[in-house]
Amino acid sequence: MGLDLISRTLRTSAVILLIFLPFGIYYFGVYPTLAILSGAVWGFVNLIFLAQLVTTVIRPDKIDIRRAVGLGLIKFPLLYGSGYFLLTVKEFDPVHLLIGFSLFLAVIVLKMLGRAILGLDNKDGKTNKNLQGAL
Amino acid sequence: MEHFGSMLALAAPLGLGLAAVGSAYGIGRAVGSAMEAMGRQPEAAGKIQVAMIIGAAFIEALTIYALIAFFMAMGKLG
Repeated sequence: MGLDLISRTLRTSAVILLIFLPFGIYYFGVYPTLAILSGAVWGFVNLIFLAQLVTTVIRPDKIDIRRAVGLGLIKFPLLYGSGYFLLTVKEFDPVHLLIGFSLFLAVIVLKMLGRAILGLDNKDGKTNKNLQGAL
Repeated sequence: MEHFGSMLALAAPLGLGLAAVGSAYGIGRAVGSAMEAMGRQPEAAGKIQVAMIIGAAFIEALTIYALIAFFMAMGKLG
């Protein structure tokens, strides 16, 4: 489990979103789909900046203070400012934004669940029979 | 109905504030524990960072959910 898990999560979420887009527009309409897309992009940007911030600040060796401060100054106003903007757009339902924002979280949960069931993080490489049985 | 509106107007920002405090406490604890773990095992820094990112993402998402719930409650107030 390395930092590639984050990039793989983003890639998987983007693929799911791309597959969903035409169906969403057809079945739910343009604005709900746009709201889900905006929520998802909001979540992706948040995750990218969060990963950058954590790998810059939380490390055993020397911290690049300038980079850390820059990331903090970009991330938090960007995340909450863009969130506020999206929530104030009249055409977007907050529930749809929430669904989009939760997409990458759902992908992470499923990926971690898959890793736990397959025992990919186990040192002996054995699959987790208890979890498999529970499912 | 007017009492409901007043209660909601009072409760929604209070709830949002509580959610922010809870998230701040959670992130603070997570970062503290991550730093401690990294100090003990610097070679496991990569794994700790990933766990930290995932944990922080979930905690931040809860704050965002609270923000959205706040906006929905404020929308009911008109």
